[in-house]
Amino acid sequence: MADLGVTALLLGLALSMYSVVGSIVGEKKGIAELIVSARRAMYMTLLSAVVASAALINAFVQNDFSIKYVADHSNTLMDRAYVWVAFYAGNEGSLLYILLVLTIISAIAIWFAPRRLARSMPWTIAILAVIQLFYFGVLSFAASPFELLDTVPADGRGINPLLTHPGMFSHPPLLMGGLISITIPFAFASGALIAGNYGDDWIDVARVSAIISWGVLGTGMLLGAWWAYTILGWGGYWAWDPIENVALMPWLVLTAFIHSIMVQKRRGMFRMWNVALLNIAFVLAQLGMFINRGGPVVSVHSFAASTLGIIFMLFMILSLVFAFGLFLWRMPRLKSDRAMESFLSRESAFLVNNFLFLAVMAITLWGVLFPLFSDLARDVSVSVGAPYFDRANGPVLLGIVVMMGVGPLLPWRKASARSLKQWFVWPVLAGVVTVGVLLAVGVQRPIAIIAFGVVAFVATAISEEWWRGTAARHRSGDNWALAWWRLVNGNRPRHGGYVVHLSILMLGLGIIGTNFYQQRTDGAIELGESLVIDNYRIEYVDSGDSSRADRIAQWAEITVYRIDKDDYAVEIDAARAEGASGFTLADSTARLNDKYLGQIEPWHGFYPDFNMASVRSGIRSTVVEDIYVIPRDFLADGRISLAVSINPLAWWLWASGPFFIIGTMIALWPQASIERRRSREPVQLEPLAELEPESNGGKA
Amino acid sequence: MASRIPFVLVGTRALPGKATSFWIAKFLIVLLIATTACIREEDITLEQRAHQLAAQLMCPVCDAQTIDGSSAQISQDMRLKVRELLDRGDTNAEIKDYFVLRYGPEILAAPEGVGFNLLAWIVPVFIVIGGVGIALLAIKNMRKAGMRARDTQIQADDEGDLSDYLEQVDRDLGGSTEIIPTPVAASKKLTDSGNEANS
Repeated sequence: MADLGVTALLLGLALSMYSVVGSIVGEKKGIAELIVSARRAMYMTLLSAVVASAALINAFVQNDFSIKYVADHSNTLMDRAYVWVAFYAGNEGSLLYILLVLTIISAIAIWFAPRRLARSMPWTIAILAVIQLFYFGVLSFAASPFELLDTVPADGRGINPLLTHPGMFSHPPLLMGGLISITIPFAFASGALIAGNYGDDWIDVARVSAIISWGVLGTGMLLGAWWAYTILGWGGYWAWDPIENVALMPWLVLTAFIHSIMVQKRRGMFRMWNVALLNIAFVLAQLGMFINRGGPVVSVHSFAASTLGIIFMLFMILSLVFAFGLFLWRMPRLKSDRAMESFLSRESAFLVNNFLFLAVMAITLWGVLFPLFSDLARDVSVSVGAPYFDRANGPVLLGIVVMMGVGPLLPWRKASARSLKQWFVWPVLAGVVTVGVLLAVGVQRPIAIIAFGVVAFVATAISEEWWRGTAARHRSGDNWALAWWRLVNGNRPRHGGYVVHLSILMLGLGIIGTNFYQQRTDGAIELGESLVIDNYRIEYVDSGDSSRADRIAQWAEITVYRIDKDDYAVEIDAARAEGASGFTLADSTARLNDKYLGQIEPWHGFYPDFNMASVRSGIRSTVVEDIYVIPRDFLADGRISLAVSINPLAWWLWASGPFFIIGTMIALWPQASIERRRSREPVQLEPLAELEPESNGGKA
Repeated sequence: MASRIPFVLVGTRALPGKATSFWIAKFLIVLLIATTACIREEDITLEQRAHQLAAQLMCPVCDAQTIDGSSAQISQDMRLKVRELLDRGDTNAEIKDYFVLRYGPEILAAPEGVGFNLLAWIVPVFIVIGGVGIALLAIKNMRKAGMRARDTQIQADDEGDLSDYLEQVDRDLGGSTEIIPTPVAASKKLTDSGNEANS
């Protein structure tokens, strides 16, 4: 198996090298056969990567512990379903996985590339092949997953226990796949630039592939946050950890890109800017790869210290120099067709939105790099963590949400006073009323109240547009549902975008609720005792053992009640006097107004081989708030040490996910009317969204 | 940008019909019900303060985790210490100093805004001001260029307008082919809500 894998990788290396040279020489010397053959070599690199991956997966299935990677990341106890997870659980395997994704999406992109890009395709292929070449090289010579052990162990070390969760089937592959897939729009744009194809031919493919990348990356991050919240038992979902940040940064830049590409598509403006955005996103993705592979900053996610750091750093620098060298070389040719007409136009709103996204990206980058900078400049170590990013990025993110309401209400070109007052009355009113009502009913924390006002403003702006469009169609005879569907269908990129905007608002609600209004208490209770926090009482009713050969594990059964605080007035006052947020009740007899809500079963495991604890929180989730119970420890005296929190609006964080995905799909769905219009033009063109099959593959 | 919107111009004539208000009212009610979850007594207990502080202190033996989120023994000990210092009546700043003295400045999850570390906090401000400034300047320049170009290119621009308009009509008709609005109605719709069908 190992020999087969190594051979496949070397073959892939040779083929991608051939593709690079063939494309460039073929294009320069005008040898059509060579170009075609270089293109076909790209399908063969796909085959090589598939064979190498299959060899590794097969080694896992066969428990072939003579291969170091297999021995390090699985054992005979491992559930066979986790073979797929074990495949990318470590450094070498994850690189092979990334290469596999890259070869698949390259082949799809090349296969479906529209014919009008024929002139720039050799260059696009050469760029894709160089990147494949890099990964084939690294896997062949620096980080081979097929390295053999001198003595074959009887059993492997086992898979990292934190990875044995269904969420791990999708979160890491989506994130890694999302990061590498930024290569595709970058290759299309750069290919067009090298070929001197300055028009807007490439923007449809770049837009579609960038949205796919963006959607996959966004879904991956959301799944990661969800996984952290439900499994990691640390009570949070986003820690601004360096690895999280390096996935977020390219996503932010892609977000800017998929907005501003619409301006280029509609108005022929921002050509330079769009190319620059793709370049930045691509270089940031390389930065992500670098930091992930033994980069210089600490993270909970890093692969165990690997020596690959320097190789990936060099590749990142190479990407940077290439992307911006090319950009500067071609910049004078990337002129806008039309000029900006007004500050109050959608074009300018898009531009401001773009700069805000880039500002969040730059602040995040600064935060990630500052500890390094401090180390180098004055030899003092500092940490830059969540409190920093919350404060530095929070206001800008709120600004972006404001723009999300303002931008779509402004017309292209120039807004008239009349259209402004017509469109802004209700949203502004909704925002102001929300702030007023929240103040009136006594909600605390001014910043959060403003944020709620902004959410109301944007949500009303979107509803208003949908309402007006739907009503207009309803008047012309459609029923309401059909009218709304036709409205959305009439301009899918726009209305799909609104669905995504709604999902961002839901995310916003969750972020505001959990960040500003979380309540927490810690306590250790015996069987039969209760812990009370705010208007919840949780009673420890049962526990049991679920240890296995590789872990020591216990579960607890806890009953959740909603209480009337008046029933517990004495205890609440006593607790407050002590400065505690909650208190323990030895006598768990239900009081008058206690209402049974349900059972939860938190779980705590320890894996001696990894010296690692794994925790499943007990969560009872509603639209309003979650009661969230982390079992910190099962103590020797029979008590259980709990961290209990109330997380307001946390449900909305996860509810946003389906909207995000559906909205992205709507925006991506090929637009029939454009196809028809295009087909009337003299040159026969391919359908708009050639990359569609890829979107299905990525989402399924 | 937002400050340039002339709110004074808002008049009752612009108000949409009753149905819209119903729609919006319904949404607002849902939003308000959801956000009332956030009503809590304001006075922060010492325990809440302990959690807030724990979220600002790094776990010395973990990778990039605060003591609030980590289950390492040292984190538990540090959390207890925080609570002990709070019970003694220390301020948040005093407690942070206590830990900085023992573990060095990297124990803080965010650098304090003094001395060299002020850079960490000031650069973001410049990034935002610079970014928005560049954006506004770019719009201004593009607008100037546009005004110069307009005199010479009225003809071309008009054609551009017409194609936009035809696209618009195309799309309006695309939705429901049975109902063909008169050109007057279509153009009125375009000017009334220029952004409705654009993307």
